[in-house]
Amino acid sequence: MFVEVRPTKKLRGAKALNLTACLSPILDALTEDSLDLSRLRLVCDWVQYKNNFRDVVDVRPILSPPPRNGQPVEPVEDKLEIAIDLRRCADADLADVVRDLLARRVEPNGLERVYLENWTKATTSRIWDFNSLYWRYLGVWEKATGRLYEQALPGGESDARNIAGVHELINEMLTVWDDLAARNALPDQLYVIELGVGNGNQAKTWLDEFVKLDAEHGTEYYRRLHYMMCDYSEHVLALARENVADHAAHVSSFALDATTPMTALGFLRYKVFLVYISNVYDNLPTEDVAQINGHTYRAEIRAYLPKAEAVRIAAEFGIESPQLVGAIDKLLSLGPELLVDALSAYFPDAARAAAFWMATWDALKLEERYVPMTGLDLYEIAPGVNGEMLRPLLERHGDVRMQVSNGAIASFVDTLPLLHPYGRLQCHDIFVTDPHQYRTGFLGPGKYDGSIVNWVNGPLLQHIGRRKGFDVSFAPFAHRTGTNIVTLTAQVRD
Amino acid sequence: MTGAIARSREPATLLLPTTVVGSYSVPEWLERLKTDFYLHRISPAHLDEIHDVAIKAAIKDQEQAGIDVVSDGELRRDNDIDYLLARIPGVSITEATKSYYYDYFEAEVREPLSTGETSALGLVKDFLFTHGQTDSPIKFSFTGPFSLSRRIHNSAYDDRADLIRSLAHALNAEARELVAAGATRLQIDEPFLAGYPGEVGLAIEAINIVTKDVRADWALHVCYGNRYARPSWEGHYDFLFPAVLDADVGTLVLEFARKGYGDLSLFKRYPWDRRLGLGVIDVKSEEVETADLVASRIRKALDVLSPDQLVVNPDCGLRHLPAYVARAKLKAMVAGAAAVREELSSS
Repeated sequence: MFVEVRPTKKLRGAKALNLTACLSPILDALTEDSLDLSRLRLVCDWVQYKNNFRDVVDVRPILSPPPRNGQPVEPVEDKLEIAIDLRRCADADLADVVRDLLARRVEPNGLERVYLENWTKATTSRIWDFNSLYWRYLGVWEKATGRLYEQALPGGESDARNIAGVHELINEMLTVWDDLAARNALPDQLYVIELGVGNGNQAKTWLDEFVKLDAEHGTEYYRRLHYMMCDYSEHVLALARENVADHAAHVSSFALDATTPMTALGFLRYKVFLVYISNVYDNLPTEDVAQINGHTYRAEIRAYLPKAEAVRIAAEFGIESPQLVGAIDKLLSLGPELLVDALSAYFPDAARAAAFWMATWDALKLEERYVPMTGLDLYEIAPGVNGEMLRPLLERHGDVRMQVSNGAIASFVDTLPLLHPYGRLQCHDIFVTDPHQYRTGFLGPGKYDGSIVNWVNGPLLQHIGRRKGFDVSFAPFAHRTGTNIVTLTAQVRD
Repeated sequence: MTGAIARSREPATLLLPTTVVGSYSVPEWLERLKTDFYLHRISPAHLDEIHDVAIKAAIKDQEQAGIDVVSDGELRRDNDIDYLLARIPGVSITEATKSYYYDYFEAEVREPLSTGETSALGLVKDFLFTHGQTDSPIKFSFTGPFSLSRRIHNSAYDDRADLIRSLAHALNAEARELVAAGATRLQIDEPFLAGYPGEVGLAIEAINIVTKDVRADWALHVCYGNRYARPSWEGHYDFLFPAVLDADVGTLVLEFARKGYGDLSLFKRYPWDRRLGLGVIDVKSEEVETADLVASRIRKALDVLSPDQLVVNPDCGLRHLPAYVARAKLKAMVAGAAAVREELSSS
């Protein structure tokens, strides 16, 4: 039996966690069961997100690989992982919870869950439909909560509006341009791209400051500047356009998926001097891989509502219980506004539809299982990037579970071709910068307002960037203290 | 006399001969094994055997595509620099391990290089291996002195030009050995030159040191970089002229497919009476050109040069392309060249 306690920092100090008190009843319950303890893993996290997808105790089957030369067969359970959220262990009788889970999991429908999907890759789970819904109908969500999304960010503002950071970036770019101009190698058009422009506050700050610094510099680069604002949400893009109206002649806007910027911006290949990205990567689809006893697994998931929650929600909105999943499907495909037209009997107005959305989101949980990989080269991290890129991380760090940050990787590798040989990608986000963090912390997923948040796998981005000819560096966000935000910078190497 | 030898158009008797620039597709598994070598997971002996097998496959791919003049795919070389620099006596490699094979070594020259008459790089062995695998004509390429110098920390020479000249002498000794071993087509690659257009005169002077008294069909390849499948610089080939007219080479191998064919006008403006290795395949894109597109690109060049002045090749090495894409591109290139050859023979 293997026991892993990840939040080791919580075990010391004035408010030290009483680990023995947490684990003892669990171990008692396990020894009472007939489970083969030699095939059991017990992993303990501290899930810091108050809103998350986990129960205080989760049970995760670890499947065995199918035979190499036989017909495809349904993989069978080989081992079992029990995952504990230590933050909540005082709130429950863990022995009872574990006993109950182990007994129910072998019974048909014993876990009393209403599933929203079959087992799936985490990147294609319905949870990302919820995430997408949030950004598409941000206005509806903000109206329902009475709070603008930027107020939901830590500190109540985006790090992107920091003047000192903007000045530093612009001044460095002006120096590069001067150097190229001196060699008669500066292009006529000077492109800057912002992915995830949000409400345009960063774009406005950047452009306003650029005008000032350019005037001081005396080179009139502003006349040649094109600022491309990109966002997934039409709602925030419209706000952003209003915000930068003073610079309209120098700004274009694109509604695009951050994971595929080249689809809209391919004409700028090798032409962009700055790609600026803030708080986007942590919100893109990802799945986890885990190295367990030297084998590599992918964590598949299945979204569900606890039955009691499902019954409560159905009753609150007058929905027949068997119709609940269908109503959620309609919400995700149509959005809250059209849901009023489609299911007016349950949702007389958009506010009611939004309330249903929020209640469902709040109750949403994830079941997990580990599915063995048959070869890293056959695993697609993102288009054009296969799992071999994970090998150094997996080989160097033993048994470890980590986010692959598939969406962030897709965005990153599809953005790099845009960069001019002297261009730079700068990204502010929550990055894991040392693989050891995966051994000591819980790094997502969490629920952040109506969206999903995961820490981004920085070492993997760094490795992939390097294989594509870029130096990728990380530094703590320099212009605000007490933040988890890290600045990633990617520039052509050699 | 030297120039006359170097500029000889022999033995290119076939109209619109097809060739490669040098490097060939490096499979992902080979990259992994090369890196494993630096991590001490496989021995030099095993890596040598792996390279032998990979080179045989690369030659076979080129032959099956119908390429007239083949190469070893430069598959023994980690990149365009290290294989040569690490073998030149007097060049110190400060850290001889890498976490990724394709990275450059940090190289340093602390004392002036000895510019003896004997070769030291061991390229003859590589040539003879390739020669033993194919009956096709072979092009053997190596990076030129100017580009090699750009990856050296120089604390030995007050004037960097002298370092470049010394490197050129080392390469000249190697070239003489290669020709003595039977090599007939040699190519100097200068992938860094486009980044230092003001130094083209010095680069050409060094190239002429490399080719001096070497009876081979010499080519000079200048591109805008292919490091990690990205251009390192942007610009136009006008910086090469008129200095390149003094280069003792028979073929100038240039990149066009990615950048467009506007720079062909340089061959109208300047009296280039030798061959042009016309880049007709974009090696930075996995989109496979059609034979028709290749043919149209060749026809553009025929507007400014005569058919016997053209050699048909990709823009640069194929190392970053997946093998199936490289094969498809070479086949399209061969078919495109054949179509134009057919047109010329029937006109």
